[in-house]
Amino acid sequence: MTGEGRELAVTHLAYLDAGSGSLIVQAVVGGVAGVAVAAKLYWRRLVARFRRQPTDQG
Amino acid sequence: MALPDTGLRDEPGSFRDPGNRVFHRAGEVLRGLDERSARDWRALAASDFFRDLLANGQVCGTQELFPTPVDVPWAAVLRHERVPFVSHPYEWSYGMLRDAALLHLEVLRAALAAGFTTKDGSAYNVQWRGARPVFIDVGSFEAARDGEPWAGYRQFCQTLLYPLLVQAHLGLDFQPFLRARIDGIEPDQMRRLFGGARRWRAGVLTHVHLHGAMQDRNAEASTSAVRAQLRAAGYSRELALATVRGLVKLVRRLDHRPGESHWSDYQRTCAYSVQDRQAKEHFVDRAVATMGPGRVLDLGANDGRYARIAARHADHVVAVEQDPAVVDALYRALRDEGERRILPLVMDLADPSPGGGWRGVERAAFAERAQADVVLALAVVHHLAIGRNVPLPEVLDQLAALTVTGGSVVVEFVHPEDPMARRLLANKPDGLFPDYRREAFESLLAARGRVVARTELPSGTRTLYQVVVGG
Repeated sequence: MTGEGRELAVTHLAYLDAGSGSLIVQAVVGGVAGVAVAAKLYWRRLVARFRRQPTDQG
Repeated sequence: MALPDTGLRDEPGSFRDPGNRVFHRAGEVLRGLDERSARDWRALAASDFFRDLLANGQVCGTQELFPTPVDVPWAAVLRHERVPFVSHPYEWSYGMLRDAALLHLEVLRAALAAGFTTKDGSAYNVQWRGARPVFIDVGSFEAARDGEPWAGYRQFCQTLLYPLLVQAHLGLDFQPFLRARIDGIEPDQMRRLFGGARRWRAGVLTHVHLHGAMQDRNAEASTSAVRAQLRAAGYSRELALATVRGLVKLVRRLDHRPGESHWSDYQRTCAYSVQDRQAKEHFVDRAVATMGPGRVLDLGANDGRYARIAARHADHVVAVEQDPAVVDALYRALRDEGERRILPLVMDLADPSPGGGWRGVERAAFAERAQADVVLALAVVHHLAIGRNVPLPEVLDQLAALTVTGGSVVVEFVHPEDPMARRLLANKPDGLFPDYRREAFESLLAARGRVVARTELPSGTRTLYQVVVGG
Protein backbone atom coordinates (compact mmCIF):
# COMPACT_ATOMS: atom_id res chain seq x y z
CA MET A 1 0.00 0.00 0.00
CA THR A 2 2.06 2.88 -1.21
CA GLY A 3 -0.52 5.46 -2.11
CA GLU A 4 0.94 5.85 -5.56
CA GLY A 5 -1.67 6.26 -8.24
CA ARG A 6 -4.33 7.17 -5.72
CA GLU A 7 -6.20 10.41 -5.90
CA LEU A 8 -4.46 13.22 -4.07
CA ALA A 9 -7.07 13.46 -1.38
CA VAL A 10 -5.13 14.90 1.53
CA THR A 11 -1.96 16.50 0.37
CA HIS A 12 -2.74 19.96 1.65
CA LEU A 13 -4.27 19.96 5.08
CA ALA A 14 -4.92 23.33 6.61
CA TYR A 15 -2.69 24.79 9.28
CA LEU A 16 -4.00 23.95 12.76
CA ASP A 17 -5.87 21.07 11.15
CA ALA A 18 -4.64 18.06 13.06
CA GLY A 19 -5.57 15.70 10.21
CA SER A 20 -7.91 12.79 10.94
CA GLY A 21 -5.41 10.10 9.95
CA SER A 22 -2.67 11.85 11.92
CA LEU A 23 -4.84 11.64 15.04
CA ILE A 24 -5.59 7.93 14.68
CA VAL A 25 -2.01 6.93 13.92
CA GLN A 26 -0.92 8.42 17.23
CA ALA A 27 -2.91 5.78 19.06
CA VAL A 28 -0.97 3.06 17.24
CA VAL A 29 2.34 4.79 17.96
CA GLY A 30 1.45 4.86 21.67
CA GLY A 31 2.18 1.15 22.19
CA VAL A 32 0.03 -1.87 22.98
CA ALA A 33 -2.68 0.09 24.80
CA GLY A 34 -2.82 2.47 21.87
CA VAL A 35 -3.21 -0.32 19.34
CA ALA A 36 -6.11 -1.58 21.44
CA VAL A 37 -7.72 1.88 21.25
CA ALA A 38 -7.27 1.99 17.47
CA ALA A 39 -8.67 -1.53 17.13
CA LYS A 40 -11.68 -0.53 19.23
CA LEU A 41 -12.22 2.54 17.08
CA TYR A 42 -12.20 0.48 13.90
CA TRP A 43 -14.39 -2.20 15.45
CA ARG A 44 -16.98 0.40 16.42
CA ARG A 45 -16.89 1.87 12.95
CA LEU A 46 -17.47 -1.59 11.48
CA VAL A 47 -20.34 -2.36 13.83
CA ALA A 48 -21.88 1.04 13.14
CA ARG A 49 -21.74 0.34 9.42
CA PHE A 50 -23.66 -2.95 9.76
CA ARG A 51 -26.22 -1.40 12.06
CA ARG A 52 -27.07 1.31 9.57
CA GLN A 53 -29.56 0.88 6.78
CA PRO A 54 -27.77 0.29 3.45
CA THR A 55 -29.30 3.51 2.11
CA ASP A 56 -27.40 5.48 4.77
CA GLN A 57 -24.12 4.61 3.20
CA GLY A 58 -24.17 7.31 0.56
CA MET B 1 -0.59 58.26 28.85
CA ALA B 2 -2.13 56.95 25.66
CA LEU B 3 0.23 54.88 23.59
CA PRO B 4 0.93 56.38 20.20
CA ASP B 5 -0.67 54.37 17.40
CA THR B 6 2.29 54.80 15.11
CA GLY B 7 5.13 52.36 14.65
CA LEU B 8 3.01 49.26 15.06
CA ARG B 9 4.02 46.55 12.64
CA ASP B 10 2.43 43.13 12.34
CA GLU B 11 4.92 40.28 12.21
CA PRO B 12 4.44 38.87 8.67
CA GLY B 13 5.24 35.35 9.90
CA SER B 14 2.47 35.30 12.50
CA PHE B 15 -1.01 35.06 11.05
CA ARG B 16 -1.81 31.39 10.87
CA ASP B 17 -3.51 31.22 14.26
CA PRO B 18 -6.23 33.89 14.19
CA GLY B 19 -6.48 33.75 17.98
CA ASN B 20 -3.18 35.51 18.53
CA ARG B 21 -0.70 37.54 16.55
CA VAL B 22 2.82 38.82 17.06
CA PHE B 23 3.50 42.46 16.30
CA HIS B 24 6.35 44.87 16.82
CA ARG B 25 6.30 48.28 18.41
CA ALA B 26 9.12 50.51 19.51
CA GLY B 27 11.63 47.70 19.32
CA GLU B 28 9.49 45.38 21.42
CA VAL B 29 8.06 42.01 20.38
CA LEU B 30 4.42 41.88 21.48
CA ARG B 31 1.70 39.27 21.07
CA GLY B 32 -1.98 40.17 20.97
CA LEU B 33 -4.45 37.57 22.27
CA ASP B 34 -8.19 37.30 21.63
CA GLU B 35 -10.58 36.47 24.51
CA ARG B 36 -10.09 32.74 24.26
CA SER B 37 -6.31 32.91 23.88
CA ALA B 38 -6.18 35.33 26.82
CA ARG B 39 -7.98 32.76 28.98
CA ASP B 40 -5.51 30.08 27.84
CA TRP B 41 -2.61 32.42 28.64
CA ARG B 42 -3.83 33.21 32.15
CA ALA B 43 -4.25 29.52 32.94
CA LEU B 44 -0.78 28.92 31.53
CA ALA B 45 0.79 31.80 33.47
CA ALA B 46 -0.60 30.36 36.71
CA SER B 47 0.82 26.88 36.05
CA ASP B 48 3.97 25.46 37.61
CA PHE B 49 5.20 23.70 34.51
CA PHE B 50 5.25 26.93 32.51
CA ARG B 51 7.11 28.73 35.27
CA ASP B 52 9.69 25.94 35.24
CA LEU B 53 10.09 26.09 31.47
CA LEU B 54 10.62 29.86 31.70
CA ALA B 55 13.09 29.51 34.55
CA ASN B 56 15.08 26.90 32.59
CA GLY B 57 15.15 29.16 29.55
CA GLN B 58 13.31 26.55 27.47
CA VAL B 59 10.52 29.01 26.62
CA CYS B 60 11.22 32.62 25.69
CA GLY B 61 10.66 35.15 28.45
CA THR B 62 7.05 36.41 28.41
CA GLN B 63 5.08 38.90 30.49
CA GLU B 64 1.60 40.28 30.17
CA LEU B 65 1.31 44.04 29.76
CA PHE B 66 -0.79 45.76 32.44
CA PRO B 67 -2.92 47.63 31.80
CA THR B 68 -3.80 46.08 28.45
CA PRO B 69 -3.08 48.64 25.72
CA VAL B 70 -6.36 50.08 24.46
CA ASP B 71 -5.18 51.01 20.98
CA VAL B 72 -4.91 47.42 19.73
CA PRO B 73 -7.84 45.08 19.08
CA TRP B 74 -6.75 42.43 21.57
CA ALA B 75 -8.09 41.20 24.92
CA ALA B 76 -4.56 40.86 26.27
CA VAL B 77 -1.06 41.73 25.11
CA LEU B 78 2.14 39.85 25.97
CA ARG B 79 5.67 41.11 25.69
CA HIS B 80 8.30 38.57 24.61
CA GLU B 81 11.99 38.61 25.21
CA ARG B 82 13.73 39.34 21.91
CA VAL B 83 15.52 36.46 20.24
CA PRO B 84 18.95 37.79 19.15
CA PHE B 85 18.59 36.62 15.56
CA VAL B 86 15.61 35.02 13.83
CA SER B 87 16.66 31.94 11.85
CA HIS B 88 14.70 29.38 9.87
CA PRO B 89 14.93 25.58 10.19
CA TYR B 90 16.47 25.27 6.72
CA GLU B 91 19.41 27.30 8.02
CA TRP B 92 20.07 24.89 10.88
CA SER B 93 22.40 21.91 10.95
CA TYR B 94 21.21 18.36 11.57
CA GLY B 95 22.12 18.48 15.25
CA MET B 96 20.25 21.78 15.60
CA LEU B 97 17.09 20.39 14.02
CA ARG B 98 17.34 17.32 16.25
CA ASP B 99 17.78 19.41 19.39
CA ALA B 100 14.88 21.64 18.31
CA ALA B 101 12.73 18.51 17.95
CA LEU B 102 13.79 17.27 21.39
CA LEU B 103 13.02 20.67 22.95
CA HIS B 104 9.60 20.73 21.33
CA LEU B 105 8.85 17.25 22.66
CA GLU B 106 10.09 18.15 26.13
CA VAL B 107 7.89 21.26 26.19
CA LEU B 108 4.94 19.14 25.06
CA ARG B 109 5.65 16.42 27.63
CA ALA B 110 5.76 18.95 30.45
CA ALA B 111 2.57 20.57 29.15
CA LEU B 112 0.66 17.28 28.83
CA ALA B 113 1.65 16.20 32.32
CA ALA B 114 0.15 19.47 33.62
CA GLY B 115 -3.06 19.23 31.60
CA PHE B 116 -1.97 21.51 28.75
CA THR B 117 -0.99 20.84 25.17
CA THR B 118 0.28 22.74 22.13
CA LYS B 119 -1.95 23.54 19.18
CA ASP B 120 0.80 22.91 16.68
CA GLY B 121 4.13 21.13 16.37
CA SER B 122 6.12 23.19 13.94
CA ALA B 123 9.90 23.57 13.73
CA TYR B 124 9.17 27.30 13.42
CA ASN B 125 8.10 27.23 17.09
CA VAL B 126 11.79 27.09 17.97
CA GLN B 127 14.47 29.78 17.79
CA TRP B 128 17.99 30.03 19.20
CA ARG B 129 19.94 31.89 21.83
CA GLY B 130 23.39 31.07 20.57
CA ALA B 131 23.65 27.30 20.55
CA ARG B 132 20.64 26.82 22.82
CA PRO B 133 17.13 26.27 21.43
CA VAL B 134 14.19 28.19 22.86
CA PHE B 135 10.47 27.58 22.32
CA ILE B 136 8.92 30.86 21.21
CA ASP B 137 5.30 30.10 20.38
CA VAL B 138 3.68 30.90 23.72
CA GLY B 139 0.38 31.35 21.87
CA SER B 140 0.43 27.65 21.05
CA PHE B 141 -0.39 26.45 24.58
CA GLU B 142 -3.95 25.56 25.45
CA ALA B 143 -5.75 23.33 27.92
CA ALA B 144 -5.61 19.67 26.87
CA ARG B 145 -8.97 18.01 26.28
CA ASP B 146 -9.10 14.52 27.70
CA GLY B 147 -9.05 11.76 25.16
CA GLU B 148 -7.49 13.77 22.36
CA PRO B 149 -4.21 13.04 20.61
CA TRP B 150 -1.70 15.82 19.92
CA ALA B 151 -3.02 18.19 17.23
CA GLY B 152 0.56 19.15 16.34
CA TYR B 153 1.75 15.63 15.50
CA ARG B 154 1.29 16.00 11.73
CA GLN B 155 3.28 19.25 11.68
CA PHE B 156 5.92 17.76 13.94
CA CYS B 157 6.37 14.94 11.44
CA GLN B 158 6.46 17.24 8.43
CA THR B 159 8.82 19.91 9.73
CA LEU B 160 10.96 18.02 12.26
CA LEU B 161 10.78 14.23 12.23
CA TYR B 162 10.70 13.64 8.45
CA PRO B 163 13.65 15.93 7.69
CA LEU B 164 15.60 14.07 10.40
CA LEU B 165 14.64 10.71 8.88
CA VAL B 166 15.63 11.88 5.40
CA GLN B 167 19.09 12.83 6.57
CA ALA B 168 19.70 10.05 9.09
CA HIS B 169 18.44 7.19 6.91
CA LEU B 170 19.08 8.42 3.37
CA GLY B 171 22.09 10.69 3.93
CA LEU B 172 20.40 13.57 2.08
CA ASP B 173 20.76 17.10 3.43
CA PHE B 174 17.36 18.05 4.82
CA GLN B 175 17.72 21.81 4.35
CA PRO B 176 16.60 22.03 0.69
CA PHE B 177 13.39 20.10 1.54
CA LEU B 178 12.42 22.57 4.25
CA ARG B 179 13.49 25.61 2.26
CA ALA B 180 11.32 24.54 -0.66
CA ARG B 181 8.22 23.67 1.38
CA ILE B 182 7.15 25.89 4.22
CA ASP B 183 4.92 23.17 5.65
CA GLY B 184 7.63 20.55 5.44
CA ILE B 185 7.64 17.14 3.76
CA GLU B 186 4.28 15.40 3.42
CA PRO B 187 3.76 11.73 4.33
CA ASP B 188 2.85 10.97 0.73
CA GLN B 189 6.26 12.21 -0.46
CA MET B 190 8.06 10.41 2.33
CA ARG B 191 6.43 7.09 1.38
CA ARG B 192 7.94 7.39 -2.07
CA LEU B 193 11.39 8.07 -0.62
CA PHE B 194 11.13 5.17 1.82
CA GLY B 195 9.95 2.31 -0.37
CA GLY B 196 11.35 -1.24 -0.37
CA ALA B 197 13.64 -2.27 2.47
CA ARG B 198 13.91 1.32 3.64
CA ARG B 199 10.50 1.02 5.24
CA TRP B 200 12.10 -1.04 8.00
CA ARG B 201 14.39 1.75 9.16
CA ALA B 202 13.68 3.21 12.61
CA GLY B 203 10.44 5.16 12.74
CA VAL B 204 9.56 4.76 9.08
CA LEU B 205 6.87 2.08 9.14
CA THR B 206 4.65 3.85 11.66
CA HIS B 207 5.36 7.57 11.32
CA VAL B 208 5.67 7.50 7.52
CA HIS B 209 3.81 4.54 5.94
CA LEU B 210 1.08 3.93 8.47
CA HIS B 211 0.63 7.68 8.94
CA GLY B 212 0.28 8.24 5.20
CA ALA B 213 -2.10 5.30 4.79
CA MET B 214 -4.25 6.51 7.69
CA GLN B 215 -4.41 9.97 6.16
CA ASP B 216 -5.59 8.51 2.86
CA ARG B 217 -8.17 6.28 4.48
CA ASN B 218 -9.55 9.00 6.72
CA ALA B 219 -9.47 11.81 4.21
CA GLU B 220 -13.25 12.12 4.32
CA ALA B 221 -13.57 11.95 8.11
CA SER B 222 -13.63 15.27 9.94
CA THR B 223 -11.16 15.70 12.79
CA SER B 224 -13.99 16.42 15.23
CA ALA B 225 -15.69 13.12 14.36
CA VAL B 226 -12.38 11.25 14.72
CA ARG B 227 -11.66 12.96 18.03
CA ALA B 228 -15.05 11.83 19.34
CA GLN B 229 -14.42 8.28 18.12
CA LEU B 230 -10.99 8.16 19.77
CA ARG B 231 -12.41 9.47 23.02
CA ALA B 232 -15.16 6.87 22.95
CA ALA B 233 -12.59 4.14 22.25
CA GLY B 234 -10.67 5.12 25.40
CA TYR B 235 -7.80 7.32 24.17
CA SER B 236 -6.24 8.78 27.30
CA ARG B 237 -3.69 11.34 28.37
CA GLU B 238 -1.38 8.47 29.33
CA LEU B 239 -1.48 7.34 25.71
CA ALA B 240 -0.65 10.84 24.52
CA LEU B 241 2.33 10.84 26.89
CA ALA B 242 3.37 7.39 25.67
CA THR B 243 3.35 8.74 22.10
CA VAL B 244 5.61 11.62 23.13
CA ARG B 245 7.95 9.23 24.91
CA GLY B 246 8.09 7.09 21.77
CA LEU B 247 8.92 10.14 19.67
CA VAL B 248 11.67 11.23 22.09
CA LYS B 249 13.19 7.74 21.98
CA LEU B 250 13.11 7.74 18.18
CA VAL B 251 14.62 11.22 17.80
CA ARG B 252 17.38 10.32 20.28
CA ARG B 253 18.18 7.25 18.17
CA LEU B 254 18.57 9.41 15.08
CA ASP B 255 21.99 10.62 16.23
CA HIS B 256 23.36 10.95 12.73
CA ARG B 257 26.57 12.88 12.10
CA PRO B 258 27.01 14.36 8.67
CA GLY B 259 30.16 12.89 7.16
CA GLU B 260 33.52 14.49 6.58
CA SER B 261 33.61 17.02 3.79
CA HIS B 262 36.16 19.11 1.99
CA TRP B 263 35.59 22.00 4.37
CA SER B 264 35.51 20.05 7.60
CA ASP B 265 39.28 19.79 7.55
CA TYR B 266 39.85 23.23 6.13
CA GLN B 267 41.64 24.88 9.05
CA ARG B 268 44.19 22.10 9.16
CA THR B 269 44.77 21.79 5.43
CA CYS B 270 44.49 25.40 4.32
CA ALA B 271 47.50 27.47 3.44
CA TYR B 272 47.82 29.49 6.65
CA SER B 273 51.02 29.68 8.56
CA VAL B 274 50.89 30.11 12.32
CA GLN B 275 52.13 33.70 11.92
CA ASP B 276 49.38 34.47 9.42
CA ARG B 277 46.74 33.08 11.70
CA GLN B 278 48.00 35.03 14.70
CA ALA B 279 48.11 38.27 12.73
CA LYS B 280 44.61 37.65 11.46
CA GLU B 281 43.27 36.84 14.93
CA HIS B 282 44.81 39.99 16.30
CA PHE B 283 43.35 42.13 13.51
CA VAL B 284 39.85 40.69 13.97
CA ASP B 285 40.01 41.05 17.73
CA ARG B 286 41.00 44.72 17.46
CA ALA B 287 38.47 45.52 14.76
CA VAL B 288 35.53 44.05 16.68
CA ALA B 289 36.75 45.59 19.96
CA THR B 290 36.75 49.09 18.44
CA MET B 291 33.13 48.64 17.34
CA GLY B 292 31.93 47.69 20.81
CA PRO B 293 28.95 45.41 21.52
CA GLY B 294 26.39 44.65 18.86
CA ARG B 295 25.85 42.03 16.21
CA VAL B 296 28.68 40.43 14.28
CA LEU B 297 28.02 38.48 11.12
CA ASP B 298 30.79 36.01 10.30
CA LEU B 299 30.49 34.98 6.65
CA GLY B 300 32.25 31.73 5.80
CA ALA B 301 32.72 30.92 9.48
CA ASN B 302 34.18 27.43 9.01
CA ASP B 303 35.16 26.08 12.44
CA GLY B 304 34.14 29.30 14.17
CA ARG B 305 37.63 30.47 15.14
CA TYR B 306 36.94 34.10 14.30
CA ALA B 307 33.34 33.97 15.50
CA ARG B 308 34.69 33.03 18.91
CA ILE B 309 37.14 35.93 18.83
CA ALA B 310 34.32 38.28 17.85
CA ALA B 311 32.18 36.92 20.69
CA ARG B 312 34.70 38.35 23.18
CA HIS B 313 33.32 41.80 22.38
CA ALA B 314 29.98 41.37 20.58
CA ASP B 315 26.52 40.80 22.03
CA HIS B 316 25.99 38.00 19.59
CA VAL B 317 27.60 36.50 16.52
CA VAL B 318 25.83 34.87 13.58
CA ALA B 319 28.29 32.43 12.04
CA VAL B 320 27.27 31.51 8.49
CA GLU B 321 28.87 28.62 6.66
CA GLN B 322 27.69 26.76 3.61
CA ASP B 323 28.85 23.26 4.49
CA PRO B 324 26.22 21.54 6.66
CA ALA B 325 28.76 19.07 8.10
CA VAL B 326 31.05 21.90 9.22
CA VAL B 327 28.16 23.81 10.77
CA ASP B 328 27.04 20.68 12.57
CA ALA B 329 30.50 20.13 14.05
CA LEU B 330 30.64 23.79 15.12
CA TYR B 331 27.14 23.60 16.62
CA ARG B 332 27.98 20.50 18.65
CA ALA B 333 31.16 22.11 19.96
CA LEU B 334 29.35 25.34 20.90
CA ARG B 335 26.46 23.45 22.48
CA ASP B 336 28.81 21.35 24.59
CA GLU B 337 30.56 24.53 25.75
CA GLY B 338 27.20 26.06 26.70
CA GLU B 339 27.83 28.98 24.32
CA ARG B 340 24.90 31.40 24.19
CA ARG B 341 26.17 34.14 21.91
CA ILE B 342 27.28 32.36 18.73
CA LEU B 343 24.57 31.08 16.39
CA PRO B 344 25.93 28.81 13.63
CA LEU B 345 23.85 28.71 10.43
CA VAL B 346 23.99 26.76 7.16
CA MET B 347 23.80 28.99 4.12
CA ASP B 348 25.50 29.42 0.78
CA LEU B 349 26.49 33.08 0.44
CA ALA B 350 25.96 32.89 -3.32
CA ASP B 351 22.44 31.57 -2.71
CA PRO B 352 21.19 33.13 0.55
CA SER B 353 17.79 32.24 2.01
CA PRO B 354 15.08 33.96 -0.03
CA GLY B 355 11.82 35.20 1.44
CA GLY B 356 9.29 32.38 1.78
CA GLY B 357 5.69 31.56 2.52
CA TRP B 358 2.76 33.88 1.90
CA ARG B 359 3.75 36.79 -0.36
CA GLY B 360 7.33 35.80 0.14
CA VAL B 361 7.49 37.63 3.47
CA GLU B 362 6.14 35.08 5.93
CA ARG B 363 9.70 33.84 6.32
CA ALA B 364 11.99 36.81 5.91
CA ALA B 365 14.88 36.60 3.48
CA PHE B 366 18.36 36.46 5.00
CA ALA B 367 19.19 39.95 3.70
CA GLU B 368 16.13 41.32 5.55
CA ARG B 369 17.32 39.91 8.87
CA ALA B 370 21.06 40.08 8.77
CA GLN B 371 22.13 43.71 9.19
CA ALA B 372 25.15 43.70 11.47
CA ASP B 373 27.48 46.14 13.22
CA VAL B 374 30.48 44.17 12.02
CA VAL B 375 30.62 41.87 9.02
CA LEU B 376 33.55 39.49 8.87
CA ALA B 377 34.39 38.31 5.35
CA LEU B 378 37.58 36.37 5.91
CA ALA B 379 38.83 34.22 3.05
CA VAL B 380 35.46 34.35 1.29
CA VAL B 381 35.75 37.09 -1.33
CA HIS B 382 37.90 34.93 -3.64
CA HIS B 383 35.42 32.04 -3.35
CA LEU B 384 32.60 34.32 -4.51
CA ALA B 385 34.55 36.34 -7.07
CA ILE B 386 36.56 33.52 -8.62
CA GLY B 387 34.78 30.37 -7.50
CA ARG B 388 31.25 31.61 -8.22
CA ASN B 389 32.02 34.30 -10.83
CA VAL B 390 30.24 37.05 -8.83
CA PRO B 391 31.59 40.42 -10.08
CA LEU B 392 33.93 41.87 -7.45
CA PRO B 393 32.00 45.18 -7.10
CA GLU B 394 28.85 43.19 -6.38
CA VAL B 395 30.59 41.13 -3.71
CA LEU B 396 31.57 44.35 -1.94
CA ASP B 397 28.11 45.88 -2.46
CA GLN B 398 26.63 42.89 -0.72
CA LEU B 399 29.07 43.12 2.21
CA ALA B 400 28.23 46.81 2.58
CA ALA B 401 24.49 46.10 2.36
CA LEU B 402 24.74 43.66 5.25
CA THR B 403 26.47 46.31 7.43
CA VAL B 404 24.68 49.10 9.28
CA THR B 405 25.75 52.64 8.38
CA GLY B 406 28.81 53.40 10.45
CA GLY B 407 29.47 49.70 11.00
CA SER B 408 32.56 47.86 9.84
CA VAL B 409 33.37 45.30 7.22
CA VAL B 410 36.46 43.28 8.03
CA VAL B 411 37.49 41.78 4.74
CA GLU B 412 40.39 39.66 3.60
CA PHE B 413 41.70 40.00 0.06
CA VAL B 414 43.51 36.92 -1.16
CA HIS B 415 45.97 38.07 -3.82
CA PRO B 416 45.85 36.30 -7.19
CA GLU B 417 49.33 34.90 -6.43
CA ASP B 418 48.15 33.16 -3.26
CA PRO B 419 48.14 29.33 -3.54
CA MET B 420 44.41 29.12 -2.71
CA ALA B 421 43.48 31.77 -5.28
CA ARG B 422 45.69 30.09 -7.85
CA ARG B 423 43.97 26.80 -7.21
CA LEU B 424 40.60 28.44 -7.89
CA LEU B 425 41.91 30.30 -10.93
CA ALA B 426 43.38 27.10 -12.36
CA ASN B 427 39.85 25.76 -12.81
CA LYS B 428 38.77 28.76 -14.85
CA PRO B 429 39.71 29.86 -18.37
CA ASP B 430 42.83 32.07 -18.48
CA GLY B 431 42.29 35.80 -18.14
CA LEU B 432 38.67 35.47 -17.02
CA PHE B 433 39.15 37.76 -14.02
CA PRO B 434 41.39 40.67 -15.12
CA ASP B 435 39.97 42.89 -12.35
CA TYR B 436 40.81 40.52 -9.56
CA ARG B 437 43.78 42.63 -8.44
CA ARG B 438 44.63 44.27 -5.19
CA GLU B 439 44.60 47.85 -6.56
CA ALA B 440 41.18 47.32 -8.12
CA PHE B 441 39.92 45.82 -4.85
CA GLU B 442 41.21 48.76 -2.83
CA SER B 443 39.58 51.36 -5.06
CA LEU B 444 36.28 49.44 -4.80
CA LEU B 445 36.63 49.47 -1.01
CA ALA B 446 37.35 53.22 -0.97
CA ALA B 447 34.15 53.83 -2.95
CA ARG B 448 32.09 52.11 -0.28
CA GLY B 449 33.58 53.38 2.94
CA ARG B 450 36.64 54.52 4.81
CA VAL B 451 39.51 52.09 5.30
CA VAL B 452 40.48 52.57 8.93
CA ALA B 453 42.89 49.67 9.33
CA ARG B 454 44.89 47.52 7.00
CA THR B 455 47.46 44.82 7.48
CA GLU B 456 49.33 42.46 5.25
CA LEU B 457 49.66 38.93 6.57
CA PRO B 458 53.27 37.67 6.97
CA SER B 459 52.91 35.28 4.03
CA GLY B 460 52.64 38.37 1.82
CA THR B 461 49.75 37.07 -0.31
CA ARG B 462 46.79 38.19 1.80
CA THR B 463 45.69 41.61 3.04
CA LEU B 464 43.12 42.44 5.70
CA TYR B 465 41.07 45.64 5.73
CA GLN B 466 38.67 47.19 8.18
CA VAL B 467 36.28 49.48 6.32
CA VAL B 468 33.75 51.74 8.02
CA VAL B 469 30.73 51.62 5.74
CA GLY B 470 29.36 54.98 4.66
CA GLY B 471 32.03 56.63 6.82
